[in-house]
Amino acid sequence: MKMGFEIHIQLNTKQKLFCCCNPHEVDTKTINFGRKLRVSSSEMGEIDPAAEFEIGKGKDITYVSGDRTSCLVEADEEPPHAPNGEAIKSAIKISNLFSASIVDEIHFMRKIVVDGSNTSGFQRTAIVGLDGKFVNGGNYVGINSICLEEDAGRLVEKTETGPVYNLDRLGIPLLEITTEPVEGDAMLGEKIAAGIGRTLKLTGLFARGLGTIRQDVNVSVGNYGIVEVKGVQKLEQVRKVLEFEEKRQSWLVELSKILHNRGIGKSDFNTKIVNLTDIFLASNSQIIRRLMSGQNALALKAPGFSGLFAKEPVPDSRLGLDLADLCKLFGFKGIVHSDEISKYGIEGQILNEVYKRLDISEKDGFILIFGSGEKAYRCLEMAKLRLEASLYGPPSETRMATEKGTTRFLRPRPGASRMYPETDIMTILVSGEMKASYRIEMKSWEETVNDIAGKYNIPHQVAEQLLDSDYLEWFTEAVMAFKSIPSTVIASVILQTFEELRKDGLQANKSALFDILDAVNKGNISKEAIHDVLRESLSQSISVESVIKRRGLISISKDEMSKIVASILKDSVSENIQREKIYGVIMGRVMKQVRGKIDGKLVDQEVKRQIEEKFGTN
Amino acid sequence: MVQQMKPGQLVQLQYNGKLLEGLIMPRSLYEDTMHITLKLKNGYNIGLDIDKVRLVKVIEHEATAQTEDEKEYNEIGNGPRVLILGTGGTIASKVDYRTGAVKPAFSAKEIVDMVPEIGNIASISVKTIMNELSENIKPENWSIMSNEVYKAFNSGYKGVVIAHGTDTMHYSASAVSFAVENPPGPVIFVGSQRSSDRPSSDSAINLQGAVTFAAKSNASGVFVAMHAGLDDNLVAVHRGTRVRKNHTSRRDAFESVNDIPFAYVDIENSIIKHENEAIPKGKIKLMPNFLAKALIFKFHPGISESITNAVFKGDLLSVIIEGTGLGHVSREIFPYIRSAIDNGKFVGMTSQCIWGSVGMAVYETGRDLLAMGVVPLGDMLSETALVKSMWALGNGLDLPSVMPLNLRGEIASRRPVEK
Repeated sequence: MKMGFEIHIQLNTKQKLFCCCNPHEVDTKTINFGRKLRVSSSEMGEIDPAAEFEIGKGKDITYVSGDRTSCLVEADEEPPHAPNGEAIKSAIKISNLFSASIVDEIHFMRKIVVDGSNTSGFQRTAIVGLDGKFVNGGNYVGINSICLEEDAGRLVEKTETGPVYNLDRLGIPLLEITTEPVEGDAMLGEKIAAGIGRTLKLTGLFARGLGTIRQDVNVSVGNYGIVEVKGVQKLEQVRKVLEFEEKRQSWLVELSKILHNRGIGKSDFNTKIVNLTDIFLASNSQIIRRLMSGQNALALKAPGFSGLFAKEPVPDSRLGLDLADLCKLFGFKGIVHSDEISKYGIEGQILNEVYKRLDISEKDGFILIFGSGEKAYRCLEMAKLRLEASLYGPPSETRMATEKGTTRFLRPRPGASRMYPETDIMTILVSGEMKASYRIEMKSWEETVNDIAGKYNIPHQVAEQLLDSDYLEWFTEAVMAFKSIPSTVIASVILQTFEELRKDGLQANKSALFDILDAVNKGNISKEAIHDVLRESLSQSISVESVIKRRGLISISKDEMSKIVASILKDSVSENIQREKIYGVIMGRVMKQVRGKIDGKLVDQEVKRQIEEKFGTN
Repeated sequence: MVQQMKPGQLVQLQYNGKLLEGLIMPRSLYEDTMHITLKLKNGYNIGLDIDKVRLVKVIEHEATAQTEDEKEYNEIGNGPRVLILGTGGTIASKVDYRTGAVKPAFSAKEIVDMVPEIGNIASISVKTIMNELSENIKPENWSIMSNEVYKAFNSGYKGVVIAHGTDTMHYSASAVSFAVENPPGPVIFVGSQRSSDRPSSDSAINLQGAVTFAAKSNASGVFVAMHAGLDDNLVAVHRGTRVRKNHTSRRDAFESVNDIPFAYVDIENSIIKHENEAIPKGKIKLMPNFLAKALIFKFHPGISESITNAVFKGDLLSVIIEGTGLGHVSREIFPYIRSAIDNGKFVGMTSQCIWGSVGMAVYETGRDLLAMGVVPLGDMLSETALVKSMWALGNGLDLPSVMPLNLRGEIASRRPVEK
């Protein structure tokens, strides 16, 4: 498999790239406004259908603009200011770090982006460094380019009429580091991504926290098309995505062979979209009636595809899912394909009529959508192209990484980026002196890990995990704030508890962390209760404090615990428990009453002490 | 070797020991000559020091931009006939992403291609009458615009849209307001605050607003159509004599001063909501001459005596004072004003407060100025007063009697509470 990486990482400058807003402030009020973006199709050249759909009529973009984090520049109501000097300095430093050739003049460009994430309709971006390299242990990867660009607006929600973006993130300076493609397995991919990520982290030039580093991963197998996977936010996703893509693309290679074996060729795709509304109107199937409501039933023969839509050698790799995702781009809820037609309760007689009208034999399949207007036809035309592309193995496309490390179809891969000069920004001269002096002196990864381990008195491995995670800053802040809580406990909440919760889809946040540590610090809960309280707080979106109150988890004193132990022991005397089993039984009964209310270690000590007092040493 | 590199060439270069391939781009006037701009295959431009690059080979000598047939197709679209007059700048333009060049659309076909919605509102014809940035527009240009508007109505157009740079659009709108009396339909100036080559440009919405108004409103007069707010759905139509550019960059920079907007156009539904009425009071009449012997004199503390002297004792025939508050200047200016009026010059008073009317009977300074013969111009914008006096001078009208009159809605005796 061949893979390449595009790493986007936010610089931690105080101000944005083209204005003086501080993105880390908290907004006290916001305003909303609505916009439309347009690019005429004639100038887009070979326009990709997704973009065409996005700029199609009736799509309104809503922007939420805060009073502190964005200004008239983000609202596209004022020209950009001169680029942030600190950001330019950082970009030159990173170019030097990767031994890239630094340009003599930086020219900002406008890269057309019509999904609404940029109020201007383009992203401002400039090449600072070219042709660098990254060497890490035995691994070497070429760096194509280092670009300084502005981050896009943050998608808040997708409504029926269009997306809503918050402008707080728009304009934060980003570096985009693009590697050359390398041949290898998922393991190597992870090593490269991790290596570059770790190196960047060590520079101290970048923001930390979730979403501050995002990677696009380009993957291809054999000589087939390049698949661009967007939105890989976490390192552990990289390997999973690469493994998944290798399997998925290999399946598509296999699929093309199956089609060839079935005798399917290009000419078989001279099929027409057939309107089957009249046939489906006669169906008494509840599902079909619901889907039909006022819509047309449009169908397309899928030559040779019988049984191939639902087949998935790896979960989520089935063609049917890709087709459904494609239809969603056009605003349709989904697609019906022949492999799952039996689920719709359609009468056999009607199905026969469908087969007849579509001229379908045993090896063929079909796809069907319920919709109307030109959009429905365009959608099916696109689906047809996707089916035909199956003859030639995995097609070039853009996919989106999922949390679990699979990928979903996002849109066909756009052609070359549409760019033109940003005339509002003057060219920036990079002098030989700047190139020579903007360099980074930094400690190695090992040294940094050792420093953290030493400073916070935590094991080496824990320090490394923290440095790798997005949460090192939360950790250091928490250690400072809660001096009486052992740093290992704080680290374990961040590394283990958070991770367990994340697996269940619960995203921990800083305030929850600090609230729970505060409760432990005040003695309101014991550290054993952290996991359960956090889970309840996050899953039900209620404050840590309310969870503690609700659960009655106010901790008990050592004296109270001691009394409970004494009373349980007293009650148990009559049971004549064997001496060697006493500890286990008593400990169990005591913990039932005090779990989460006091440190388990103290209970252990007290139970042992009282048993020995009563029954002597074992 | 270096001398051989010319803009337009597709070249292979050596830079820092590495090979680069790209298109050599023209440099702008303000970029130095020690660097070249190279457009790489991925679309990015970079600047390289000429002394550090070595030309390896020229791959293609002249990668010229494709030129298109620029025939004027008129009467594109369906609906009432609307003429769009181009004065410069670009109401619609397209980008050649290969070279990065922005090419304005001048023909009706190109404009309707860019903003297809207007083809459903009106039958569009386009005529380019000049090509000037709005800061370079002169009173002679106002005369040309006025003549063209007059001709258009005589040729049976329902309405006229004038695409104009925004900086001085309100001066031109005011000028045409005075020059063309009783137009049988609306004349609408339109511009854009975000250049039309960007996806977020306001030009398409503004143009839709202008064309909708030109095609559907029966109002007689000259107007400016621009964004009403930050949203891309509402266009405000301002009276040409009442409008002012009040912001350097916002989409809603144009505001009606001392008046509410004349109308609003709801773009989504193509509906006009009139706040006012204007029906022609007679036959269309053209008075297109302007004499530029007038000036706005903005008084401020510590104003230079030599400038004051030059203004009032030079060859100007009309001075529009932008006084402080209700219409005042310091007493040091009095002798200059008095001598100018004594020499037959017109001196009118407006306020630098922008909003509100002058009121020269309130304080002694105002009464002194009135006694000298300074003509109070009510709530007229100083820019409108300037243009009006140039027009009055150009057409031989008596300024002291014409200037305070309400000819085109430029002055009012009452002002709405709502701003």
